[in-house]
Amino acid sequence: MSETHKEHPSPTKYVQIAIVLAILTAIEVALYYTEDIVGALAPPLLIILAVGKFVIVVGWFMHLRYENSLVNKFFAGGMILALILFAIVMIERAVGNFF
Amino acid sequence: MSDAHAYPHEPTGVETRKLGFWVFLSTEILFFGTLITTFLIFKGRDFPGIKLTDVYDIPFTSVSSFVLLMSSLTMVLAHNALETNDQEKTRVWLLATAMLGAVFLAGQIYEFTEFYHKGFELSTNIFSSTFYVLTGFHGLHVFIGVVLLLALWGIGQRQKGLSLNEGMNLEFIALYWHFVDIVWIVLFTVVYLI
Amino acid sequence: MTKIIEPKKQRNIFSRPSSEEGVWSWITTVDHKRIGIMYGYAAFFFLLVGGLEALLLRIQLSQPDNNFLSAAEYNAMFTMHGTTMIFLAIMPISAAFFNYLLPLQIGARDVAFPRLNALSFWIFIAGGLFLYSTFLFGTAGAPEGGYLAEEVSRLASAPNGGWFGYQPNAGLKYSPGTAMDYWAIGLQILGIASLVSAFNFITTILNMRTKGMRLMRMPVFTWMTFAVSFLLAFSLPIIAIALFFVTFDRQFGTTFFLTEGGGDPVLWQHLFWLFGHPEVYILILPAFGIVSEVLPTFSRKPLFGYPAIVFAGFGIAFIGFGVWAHHMFASAISPVAQAGFGLSTMIIAVPTGVKIFNWLGTIWGGRLTLNTPMLFALGFIGMFVIGGLSGVTHSVVPADTQQTDTYYIVAHFHYVLFGGALFGIFSGLYFWFPKVWGRMYNETMGKIHFWLMIIGFNLTFGPMHWLGLQGQVRRTWVYAEETNLGFWNLIVTIGAFILAIATLVFMANWIYSRRKGEVAPFDPWDARTIEWSIPSPTPVWNFSNAPEVKSLDDFWHQKYGEDEDGRAVRREGTDELLLQLEEEGLNPKEEIHLPSPSYFPVVMAFGLPFLGYAIIYKSIPLALIGVIMLLIGGFGWGTEPLEEEFESSEEEPESGESKNYE
Ligand code: HEM
Ligand SMILES: [Cu+2]
Repeated sequence: MSETHKEHPSPTKYVQIAIVLAILTAIEVALYYTEDIVGALAPPLLIILAVGKFVIVVGWFMHLRYENSLVNKFFAGGMILALILFAIVMIERAVGNFF
Repeated sequence: MSDAHAYPHEPTGVETRKLGFWVFLSTEILFFGTLITTFLIFKGRDFPGIKLTDVYDIPFTSVSSFVLLMSSLTMVLAHNALETNDQEKTRVWLLATAMLGAVFLAGQIYEFTEFYHKGFELSTNIFSSTFYVLTGFHGLHVFIGVVLLLALWGIGQRQKGLSLNEGMNLEFIALYWHFVDIVWIVLFTVVYLI
Repeated sequence: MTKIIEPKKQRNIFSRPSSEEGVWSWITTVDHKRIGIMYGYAAFFFLLVGGLEALLLRIQLSQPDNNFLSAAEYNAMFTMHGTTMIFLAIMPISAAFFNYLLPLQIGARDVAFPRLNALSFWIFIAGGLFLYSTFLFGTAGAPEGGYLAEEVSRLASAPNGGWFGYQPNAGLKYSPGTAMDYWAIGLQILGIASLVSAFNFITTILNMRTKGMRLMRMPVFTWMTFAVSFLLAFSLPIIAIALFFVTFDRQFGTTFFLTEGGGDPVLWQHLFWLFGHPEVYILILPAFGIVSEVLPTFSRKPLFGYPAIVFAGFGIAFIGFGVWAHHMFASAISPVAQAGFGLSTMIIAVPTGVKIFNWLGTIWGGRLTLNTPMLFALGFIGMFVIGGLSGVTHSVVPADTQQTDTYYIVAHFHYVLFGGALFGIFSGLYFWFPKVWGRMYNETMGKIHFWLMIIGFNLTFGPMHWLGLQGQVRRTWVYAEETNLGFWNLIVTIGAFILAIATLVFMANWIYSRRKGEVAPFDPWDARTIEWSIPSPTPVWNFSNAPEVKSLDDFWHQKYGEDEDGRAVRREGTDELLLQLEEEGLNPKEEIHLPSPSYFPVVMAFGLPFLGYAIIYKSIPLALIGVIMLLIGGFGWGTEPLEEEFESSEEEPESGESKNYE
């Protein structure tokens, strides 16, 4: 209905994306079981993987990649706001007393 | 939308209901954000009694996470089918999505009862409280999603096809469903894996 | 968009409400103007109730060691006063303005989602009634050894933990009984109402603008509505979850905010003020918008620095998310946070100051008409400056630790909320009175109202500054004779009664002028924005044709041009233009489709209180009633078309050339 609305991907593409998602999930679970070997790297890796999956679902399945930039701004705005505010609260409640 | 004649609408180029829906989703981030924040704050503290790590079953939860992830695929396929006006497929994929959602919910109920039997109850300690409220709030979202999907499927069944109007509804339910899925992607990592 | 099968015309299970007059037409209406009017009346009713509560508080404090109210009653009254004024009076009165004016100012026929709009309104009513039903059903028991051990009266059976619900004081141990549950769940319901309306207004402003109404041509009031909607949308979810936790703590034995179970009372303060500070801007920004319309009109000058006002508004909204912990300087926050939040609080005064200078610049050198709306707008500037300055004194942390929890704070927030928000609202009520009712208010009575109000206001809240600095503690029901606080407290109480009289004058004026006031001319104020280019009272269809906007203050520029020196001169033919506009406005040429009324918003909204009672009384039948009402409402809503007998359009309307979103 508007020019910014690019063609959505085909079903095959969707299935491929889902396979990628499945693999990422498998890696996550594997990481969990090998935590002793991977050590302190595991949590950051897990977070990166989760963020990756998140972005894939939002971008492709929710078609945010194909959406008007306005919609993107709302979503990103909500995310950024939440991240900043909650980071401050968490730091305050967790380590704030040491500063 | 109301009277297309006199009123040029949508100077933003985004369909009005879709715009409203995205605003709604943006605020949902804050809902879950508050819950996750609370969860993380308490996760870092000492608390007496039984812990999640004593009771949970990672293979089981991995499978149900996988089920929910795949329901996103069936959802997007339903959406795709409706875009090409393949009514038959739309309904099949819709039903499949609802069923996968129901499986996830059943898994969650099973998991909760298991935890309860093992003594990990709502008010056992601060950690169990946050766990149940957080995952329960997500479960409630899944439940609402399943009801919506089934309703849409029923409408499609009764009218032998979904219309443009309900077609848009399918788009919203799809957005909602994917959103519920991405929340779980985060929760699975934050609550279970880390 | 691909073509998809046509919907078959389907009959609904319930027949559509059809009356155009009488009670049912109001209950089922989805017309933004009617909803706005209902918001206004309901909010004003709650304003009176909250005012009555305040008078009781003031009678108690008029003398030292008074016994008019018991401690328990005093706690209930100040909690209900604050909660009522914020959530049931100022917020919904602002919503009344949003509803009525927003579509008119952007040249739309209604809001983006008319039924959702009705839903917001009825949820607000349902939430307000639920909260107030605590006086009938609620209980406030006696904590062991506490002051409440006496017999508790009905007046005291209301929430008593303060509008901020600090934990653990508002928890089950120190606030036993059900009253605080009514508070938590009541606010939860009211929050849903505001959240839904925020989605609606954001979408309306973005997508329902008429031809040529670019963002930077929108009236400032519309801009402020936009900012407020964002604040609502992003702050309410936080308090919703926090209230959720409170309800769990009180009902299901969790300990989110209770230290004895490892919980964290300071977390509650964070979550509450993360919402609470944006909330104060939710309360004040609509008033900013209103005076930004009133001042230029009665100064006969364009608003000074329109872009600055708009950006300052968004600056305030944005920074407003980053100052919450200034309410917690006396709580457990780190010194780093104290410094940071003190700083950000000082910074937020900057965009606020920008606005003040813009308003002063607007009236500077203007030809002022000192009628009632203008007086209130000027009063607003003065009072708000005083409140803003005391706000800055709170941002100095060492000073604030002295001020906090004293009457100095009470003085601050009443100067910004009463002297600011409410004065702005009164200004707007007078300003748009002719638009809404087609009659003029009585100017003499209006002026009496203003002068009584500004005198009463300063008598009431001015002395609180020094009372607070002398150490009178807020939220406390008595003070001792020896403190020597008696004299100024008596003055304060007298001021409060003057305010009550002023309110009576306002009501008399309103009731009289609604019926008997002079018939309002078409454009009584020689105003600037397009809502004045249609007849008064506004026809149901708003604009007969979608207006086309060519500039900021479009209506003014239709009427006035400029001479060589840049002075405004009335164009020739303006009188004819006005006649023609009125004629057109009253007689639309094409057929007009308006959204049809609906029962379902009401049904859904009143399902929520049942769920609330179900949680408090652990009752499955009540829960079922609530769920069934929600389901019936939702189902009926989903299956009825927005407009009866109007086929869904076969093709998507072309979006045309109106791509002017920036
Ligand atoms: C110049 C801008 C402002 C500044 C710097 C400011 C600063 C502050 C500070 C630091 C406090 C906490 C004081 C304490 O509890 O120790 C406070 C309290 C308060 N402010 Fe403001 N403020 C400003 C404007 C406003 C506005 C515009 C409103 C509302 C319309 C408002 C409403 C309140 C309320 C209601 C409280 C008391 C909350 C409570 O404890 O119950 N303020 N202000
Ligand atoms: Cu504040």
